[in-house]
Amino acid sequence: MDLYLPIAEMSVNAPLLIALGAAVGFISGLFGIGGGFLMTPVLVFMGIPPAVAVASLSNHVAASSFSSVTTYSRRRMVDFRMGGVLAAGGIVGAIVGVEVFRVLRLLGQADLVVSVSYLLFLGVIGALMLWESLGTILRRRRGESAPPRRDRRPILLYALPWKMRFPKSRLYISVIPPILLGLFVGILSAIMGVGGGFILVPAMIYLLRMPASVVVGTSLFQIVITASLTCVLQAGRNQTVDVVLATLLLVGGVLGAQLGARASARFRAEELRALLALIVLLVGVRMGLGLFIQPDDAFVLVAAAG
Amino acid sequence: MAIDLTPAAPPASVSATLTETEVRVTSGFTGAKISVYGAVFDPAGKPSDVVVVVRGPTQPVRIARKVRVSGIWLNSRPVVFEGAPGFYRAASTRPLQDITRFGQLRKLGLGLDHLAIAAPAERRIETRYGVRDMVVSSLGDDYFRWRGAVVRLKQAAGLYSADADGVTFVDKGLFLARVDLPAQAPIGQYTARVILFQDGKPVSDRTLPLKVEKVGLERAVYLFAHQHPWSYGLVSALIALGAGWAASRAFRRS
Repeated sequence: MDLYLPIAEMSVNAPLLIALGAAVGFISGLFGIGGGFLMTPVLVFMGIPPAVAVASLSNHVAASSFSSVTTYSRRRMVDFRMGGVLAAGGIVGAIVGVEVFRVLRLLGQADLVVSVSYLLFLGVIGALMLWESLGTILRRRRGESAPPRRDRRPILLYALPWKMRFPKSRLYISVIPPILLGLFVGILSAIMGVGGGFILVPAMIYLLRMPASVVVGTSLFQIVITASLTCVLQAGRNQTVDVVLATLLLVGGVLGAQLGARASARFRAEELRALLALIVLLVGVRMGLGLFIQPDDAFVLVAAAG
Repeated sequence: MAIDLTPAAPPASVSATLTETEVRVTSGFTGAKISVYGAVFDPAGKPSDVVVVVRGPTQPVRIARKVRVSGIWLNSRPVVFEGAPGFYRAASTRPLQDITRFGQLRKLGLGLDHLAIAAPAERRIETRYGVRDMVVSSLGDDYFRWRGAVVRLKQAAGLYSADADGVTFVDKGLFLARVDLPAQAPIGQYTARVILFQDGKPVSDRTLPLKVEKVGLERAVYLFAHQHPWSYGLVSALIALGAGWAASRAFRRS
C-alpha cells in the first residue's frame, strides 16, 4: 500500500515504513537509545530528502523515547534531576543546531557535515564501546574479576563551581559538565537527526561516572525533551517535519520500543553494549564511505534553501 | 523565396485536449497518466509534425559538483539555475532535429538541449578581447557540463524526458501523446503546449492548462505546515508524545 507524504512530496510503501519503525523501535528499547542514527540513513537511502528525514525523525525519536522512558521510570531507573540539567543544555543545543543545519543547507554542505559527523562520532564511539565491552566479556569468560575501578575522582567534575546533589546517581558534582554534554548532544541531534543516546550513554558512564542502572532511563528522559523541541523548531524554521512520515514510523516504533525494553532484561549489559557497538560502528563506516569513494556522477542536486 | 500563387487555402491548424485538466494528489497518489488528444486540420494535406511539450511549475535548481580535496569528496559551492521547470516532457512525431532547424528549437525552447535554463548569478559583465559589456559565466567553459548535469539528474529522477516517438498519429489527422507524471512531480500549474510544424515552421499551436494539486488530508497537512509552522510543530510533537504514552499504557495492562 503506497502512501503519499505531503511534506516530502513523494510516495512511499506504508507497510515497509511501519516494519522499519518497529525494527528500529525494538533496537531503541533494547539498548536504550533513540535509534535515530539507524533510521536517518535508511530513510535517506529510500530517497526521502535528508532535511525532511532528519526533521521528521526528531518526532519519531520523541515518541519512541517517551514510550520507553515511562517503562524505565516505573522501575525507578531515571534520575530526573540529572536529566533536567542535561536537558537544559540540550534545549540551547537544539536551537543552535537547527540554525547551523539551516546555514549548512544554504551552503550546500549539509550532506558533507552529516557524513563526517556520522563517521567521526559513530566510528569513535562504536570502536571504544566495542573495545571496552569485549574486554569485559573476555575477562568474565576467563573467570577474572573486573580490574579495580580507578575511583580517582575526576578533577573536572568536582573542581568546577555550581555543584549540585544528584541523590539518585549518588553524585555531588558541578552542573557544568552535564550542561555542556547536553548542549553538544542537542546540536548533534538537530544536525544528524538522532536522539544522541549513543553519545549520552557512554558519556554518562565514563565522564559523569553515573551508576549504570540509571544511565539509560536518564538519557531517554533527556532525549524526549530535546527531540520534542527539535521537532517544533524544525517545523517552525524549516517546514521540514512530515507528520505522515513520522506517524508511520511511530506506529511501529512505539510497539517495537516496548518489546525491546522488555527483551533488554534477558541480556547481560556488556553483551548488549558489544552488539550496540558493532551496529554503531557499521553505520558510521557505511555513512562515511561516501566521502572516499569516487561518486558515479560528478554533480549532485542540492536541496533548495528553505 | 518563391511566391505562392495557388488560391489561398485556409491555413493548417491544430486543436488538442487533455484527458484530465486537474490531477488530484491524494494520500494514495502514485503518479498519474495523462493523454493529450488532438487533431490536425489541413485541407492541403501537407506532411505535418506535432510536438507536445508539458512543463511543470518553474523551480530554481541548486546543483553542486563533487570535488576531491586531499582524498575526500566534497561538494563545491552550489550553482543556482533559474528558469528550470519542475517537470518537462517533450514528445514529438519524429526526432526534433528532423522536424525543424536548430534556431527554431532554440527560440521555442523545445527539447532537453534547448530548455531555457540559465545561471544568472554566475553571470559577469566584462570587457574581453576589447569588446565591452560581454556577458560571461564564471563557470567558464564548464558551463555546458553544469547545464547538462542539471538535465541529466532531472532525467534520472524521472522528471525530465524527451521522446521522439511520443506523439503518434492514430488516424488521419488524429494524434495522441501520453504523459506519465511520477509521484515526485511537483505540485502547481502545468502547461501542455501542442505545436504543429509544417516544412520546418511552426504553423499553429495550442496551450492547455493542467493543474496538479493536493486535495483532502494531504492539502490540509501541507497548508497547516506552511501557514502555521509553529503550531504544526507543536501539534506533531504532542502527537508523538501522546502515541508514546498510549503505547506504554497499553503494554502496562497486558
